[in-house]
Amino acid sequence: MNLAVYRVILRTQLSPARLLVLAGLSGVAILLAFTARAADDTVEVATRTIANFGINIFAAFIALSLGSAALGNLVEDRTLVYLWLRPVSRHSIATAAMAAVLTVVAPTLVVVMTVAAVITGVDELVAATAVATALAVFAYSGIFLALGLRFKRSLLIGLGYIAIWELLMSRLGDWFARLSIRSYPMSILSDATDVSMRLADRSTLTSYIVPLAVGVAGLLYTSWRLNRTEID
Amino acid sequence: MSTQAGPPPMVQAAGASKWFGDLVAVSDVSFSIGAGVTALLGPNGAGKSTMLRMMCGLARPSNGSVTVLGKDPRSDVSVLGRIGMAPQQESLLDHLSGREFVELAAQLHHLQRPGEAARQAIQTVELDPDDTRRLSTYSKGMRQRIKLAQAIVHDPLVIALDEPLTGLDPRQRREMIELFHRLGSEGKCVIVSSHVLDEVERFGSRVLVMAQGRLAAEGDFREIRNLMDDRPLRISIRTDRPRELAIALLDRGVISGCRLEGADVVVVDTTDPAAFRRAVAPVARDRNVSLRELRPLDDDLESVFRYLVTQ
Repeated sequence: MNLAVYRVILRTQLSPARLLVLAGLSGVAILLAFTARAADDTVEVATRTIANFGINIFAAFIALSLGSAALGNLVEDRTLVYLWLRPVSRHSIATAAMAAVLTVVAPTLVVVMTVAAVITGVDELVAATAVATALAVFAYSGIFLALGLRFKRSLLIGLGYIAIWELLMSRLGDWFARLSIRSYPMSILSDATDVSMRLADRSTLTSYIVPLAVGVAGLLYTSWRLNRTEID
Repeated sequence: MSTQAGPPPMVQAAGASKWFGDLVAVSDVSFSIGAGVTALLGPNGAGKSTMLRMMCGLARPSNGSVTVLGKDPRSDVSVLGRIGMAPQQESLLDHLSGREFVELAAQLHHLQRPGEAARQAIQTVELDPDDTRRLSTYSKGMRQRIKLAQAIVHDPLVIALDEPLTGLDPRQRREMIELFHRLGSEGKCVIVSSHVLDEVERFGSRVLVMAQGRLAAEGDFREIRNLMDDRPLRISIRTDRPRELAIALLDRGVISGCRLEGADVVVVDTTDPAAFRRAVAPVARDRNVSLRELRPLDDDLESVFRYLVTQ
């Protein structure tokens, strides 16, 4: 990883607007946690809240917002040339971009969602939430980092992917569900609390391996794409 | 293809072509460039920027090859350490200060003292290395100069500058041209693109003329200039007695044809613009004809380049 590239991309990630959105969503997560705690069936409501809000919405949309912008913004405003035109490996640029995204997204999401899990009072959910959120963030960040480099309207395409594939198509059957990122971290939550949720029926091992593999695949594709792409 | 005598070329294009779908941006261009300042001249859309991008490895030739210091800049990342480039676009990493921007380039080139190198490069382009303002606040001229600073911070052997004088005032232009010459005289290969003929004249150097994606001419600027001056020219003359003036100019042998347009305009063709320029005022004075306007009809740069392509 190239530290200079990492620092530059990290600074672009920390825009006031993004920090505001992060803070807002964090506030919502905490509020929902208090609501779940007050529910009659706390375990079920808390598990579903963490899964539906934390994984399906919070993790996916924040990873999309920051992941697609990390290299995508540099392509869009034609400043990638100032990183590309140097004797540094393309893989180290990709890794630095991924690290910059994770530096912002991972602590925020993992910490906020873990605190939310603690607030619900469901002890078995706390560690599972931390792990599931971290894996979801890693997988989504890898996908959206690559998407940002590949497509000009990556934010729109990413929104389409989340809405159409992750939230709708995945409900059409097991085959589709297997290609949905969210089914894996949701399975970790389901395993921990024994709450049955649609899609959350992946085996324990694949629940860990697939999100990691997807994140790494996104990173490798980004490196390959950086090598192949023509810089404007 | 031409080859310079002496040391091996620092930049070499061999039948290089680049197309984007149906659009041919560069077509079968071959040249060799050594140390010194070389101007890449041509109108907008001639393929200059694409050629520079291929030289710096930013774009891959669709056909043929472009090598820098004997290596393919597209596949050999190490050669990028010997290349400095200031791209045409104005956009910069606007959230950084000028110093941070140039220091980033120095760090990515693995310089041992990036801060010191950045300071020196910024001073070379006559900006203030202690200026902490963000690049987003920089004027166009300052942006051009900071782009140049990041291109030279690592003391590259090949420097590609895409329209680097745009937005500079006359004094800054003069100083930048002096800097290009200084870099060239230090043995570096400085390639400067421009669409402004007079600007290139001041580079006073070897010129590659591109038009419609092709290499239209190459050589010493004076030779190119003479070629340009020798081309036929069509001139519109507004006068009170166009017929008399046209006959007198035909008699003098400085025009090859003429056409009356309305009551006060005659359009003349000349194959010797310099002789025409010398003769027209004395001829008008001798015949007591008043000249109201002389307007070249095809003296825009595009037509000059079109003419060169046909030669």
